[in-house]
Amino acid sequence: MATIELAALEKTYPGGVRAVDGLSLTIGDGEFFALLGPSGCGKTTLLRTIAGLEEATGGSLSIGEREVTRLAPGQRDVAMVFQDYALFPHMTVLDNIAYPLRIKRVARAARHEKARQTGDGLELAELMARRPAELSGGQQQRVALARAVVAHPSAFLFDEPLSNLDARLRLSARTFLKRLQRELGVTTIFVTHDQAEALAMADRIAVMEAGRIRQVGTPREVFGRPANTFVANFIGSTPMNLLPATVTDHRLLLAAGSLPAPSGLGARREVTVGIRPEYLDFSATAVPDALSGTVGIVEHLGTSSLVTLETDGGPIGVVVPEEAEPAAGSTGWAVPRPGRVLLYDNETGDLLPT
Amino acid sequence: MAGLGTGRAVLFVVPALALIAAFLVFPALWTLYLGVLKYDLAGSNAAAPQFVGLGNYTDALTDPRFANSVLLTLAFVGLSAVLGQNGLGFLLAATLRRAVGWVRMLVNGLVLLSWILPGTVVVFLWQALLDRNGGTLNALLDTPGAAWTLDHPLATIVVFNIWRGTAFSMLLYSAALDAVPTSHLETARLYGSGPLRTFRDVVLPRIRGHILTNTLLITLWTFNDFTPYMLTGGGPEHRSETLPVYVYRMSIEGGQLGFGSAISLIMLVINLVIALFYLRLLRRRGG
Ligand SMILES: Nc1ncnc2c1ncn2[C@@H]1O[C@H](COP(=O)(O)OP(=O)(O)OP(=O)(O)O)[C@@H](O)[C@H]1O
Ligand SMILES: [Mg+2]
Repeated sequence: MATIELAALEKTYPGGVRAVDGLSLTIGDGEFFALLGPSGCGKTTLLRTIAGLEEATGGSLSIGEREVTRLAPGQRDVAMVFQDYALFPHMTVLDNIAYPLRIKRVARAARHEKARQTGDGLELAELMARRPAELSGGQQQRVALARAVVAHPSAFLFDEPLSNLDARLRLSARTFLKRLQRELGVTTIFVTHDQAEALAMADRIAVMEAGRIRQVGTPREVFGRPANTFVANFIGSTPMNLLPATVTDHRLLLAAGSLPAPSGLGARREVTVGIRPEYLDFSATAVPDALSGTVGIVEHLGTSSLVTLETDGGPIGVVVPEEAEPAAGSTGWAVPRPGRVLLYDNETGDLLPT
Repeated sequence: MAGLGTGRAVLFVVPALALIAAFLVFPALWTLYLGVLKYDLAGSNAAAPQFVGLGNYTDALTDPRFANSVLLTLAFVGLSAVLGQNGLGFLLAATLRRAVGWVRMLVNGLVLLSWILPGTVVVFLWQALLDRNGGTLNALLDTPGAAWTLDHPLATIVVFNIWRGTAFSMLLYSAALDAVPTSHLETARLYGSGPLRTFRDVVLPRIRGHILTNTLLITLWTFNDFTPYMLTGGGPEHRSETLPVYVYRMSIEGGQLGFGSAISLIMLVINLVIALFYLRLLRRRGG
C-alpha cells in the first residue's frame, strides 16, 4: 500500500513520439484511480512507465515514499495485469497463481497453500488443476488477478483488464474488481478507454488527451462539471450538447431560444453552452427559458429515450422518460435543470467559472 | 467420409504416391537388394553379381574403418549441429532481437548468405580461406604454412558446417521467439525474475517443440551431409571420413557397390532411430 507520485513525468519514444508529456499527479493510498482517454493518448505508456517497463525520459516517480524512477521493474513492488492476461500456457492455474512466490523462492508447499487461499477468494477453487487454455475469458481474467493479488504488491496496475470480456461479463467483472480492490485496499491504477467503466469503478478519474491530463476528479465532478469541451465530449454515454451562444445582459442568446445567464460574465461575449441530455427536461408545451425545436429521431435507451430536437442551431439531445416520449414531427421544448448549464470559453475550451 | 468421397480422394493421392514409389520406395528396395550382393563397378562381379546374404553387413560391422566413420559422424553431428548450429543459431536469434535495425539486417544478411550460396562456391571460398600457402586465415592469424585441413580435419569440417548451417536454426528460433508474447516476458520481469529465470520458466517451455524439431532436422541433414568431402576428401587417413563420405569412397571410388549399399541401409536405419527418438520426445510435450 502506497501513494504514487508523478512529478513532471515524461516519456518520449525513440521515434520522437511524446506519449507522456510532463504529468504531475498524486494518487492516494488505497485509491482506485482510472486513466481514461481516447486511443493513442498515452494511457498504456503511462502505466508501463510507472511499472518500469518503459524508462521515463524526464521527471520523477515515487511509490510509497520511495523514489523509483530508475529502478528495475522487479524492484518497484507493483503487479500488472495485461490486456491479454499473460497467463503461462504450460502451467496449471495453481502454478500460474503461485508464480510470483516461486520467484521469491517461497517453498513449494507454502506457495501452493497461499495460491489456493487466494484462488478460493476469487472463485477459482475448482479450476486449480486446469491449464489457461481450458478456461473461459472471465476465469482467465480472475486467474490473472489472483496472480497479482498473491504477489502482495504496493500497487496494482491494470491495462484494460475487462476489454476482452463480453458486455455482460464485463458488468459483473466490474463489480467484482471493485469489491476486491476495496477489500484489499491496494492502490490501483486502472487504464480504460470506456468512460462508463471509469465512472462506475473509480474513486478518481484522470482524463487524458495526447499525453496530457485534461481533468482529474471524482466521477461526479468529471461527469457533472467537465473542465473543458474535450472532457465534455468524451465523458457520458450520450454526448453533451455543445451550443454556440452570445452573452448579453443577463441572457444567453442561442439560435434555439434564450436562457438566463449567470452573473459576472460581462456583456457581448461569445461562449459555448454545454448541457447534458440527462440534465434537460422535455416539455410539449411552450415554457419560458427553454430551447425549442422539432422532434426528430427518438432512440430507445431502455427506461428512457434520447430525443433529438432539430433546432435552428443544430440538433439538441434530450433524455426523456419512456412514458413521456413525444411523437416525431411535433414541436418540443428543452428546459435545463437549475445549475446544470455550463459555459465554455470559445478560445481555450475551458469551463468558465459560474 | 465428408467431402470428396473415397474414389476421388484416391484419385488425387495416386500421382503423389506414384512419384514417391518411383523415386523413394523403389531405390530403397533396390539398395536393399544390392546390399545382399557382391556387386562391383568393374570386374567379374559387375557382370554377374554374387549373392552373399548378410556378408556385406558383417564385413561392415567388423571393419575398423566403418567404426571410425560412425564415431566421426557422431562427433561431427554432435559438435557442429546439435551444439554448434543450435547454440549459435539461438544466440544470434536472441541477441539480434534487441539489436538496432541495420545491425540486424547486416548480420541476418551475412548469415543467410552463407546458407544460400551453392556448396561448390562455398567450398571454393573455404579453400581460399584455409589454404596452406597464402590462405586468408593464415594471413589473418599470422601463421604462415599452417595446414588446417591436414592438421585439424574434424575441427575444419565442424567449423565449416556450423558456419554453413547456422542460418536455418537462427531463422527458426527467431520465429519461435517471436511467438512468445512480450506480456509474458514482462510479467515475469515485473515479479522480479532475471533473464535466465525468465528464459527457463517462460521461454523454454514455449519453444521446446521448436528446439526438438530444429534439432531433429539439423541432425538428419548433418548426418547425411556430403559437403565435408569437398573440403577434405575424407582425409587425411580417414580422419574426416563421415558415413556419407565413407559410402561414396567405398562404392564409387572403391567400386564396391554392394558393400556401399549395405552401409547406406545401415545409415538409413540410424536415421530412422534418430527420428523416432525425437518424435517420441516431441509427443511427450506438455505431458
Ligand atoms: N513502442 C513504441 N514506440 C514508439 N511509439 C509508441 C510506442 N508505443 C506507443 N507509441 C505511441 O505512443 C502514443 C501512446 O500510445 P499508448 O499505447 O500509450 O496509447 P493508449 O492510450 O494506451 O491507446 P489505446 O487505448 O489504443 O491502448 C501513440 O501515439 C503510440 O503510437
Ligand atoms: Mg493501451
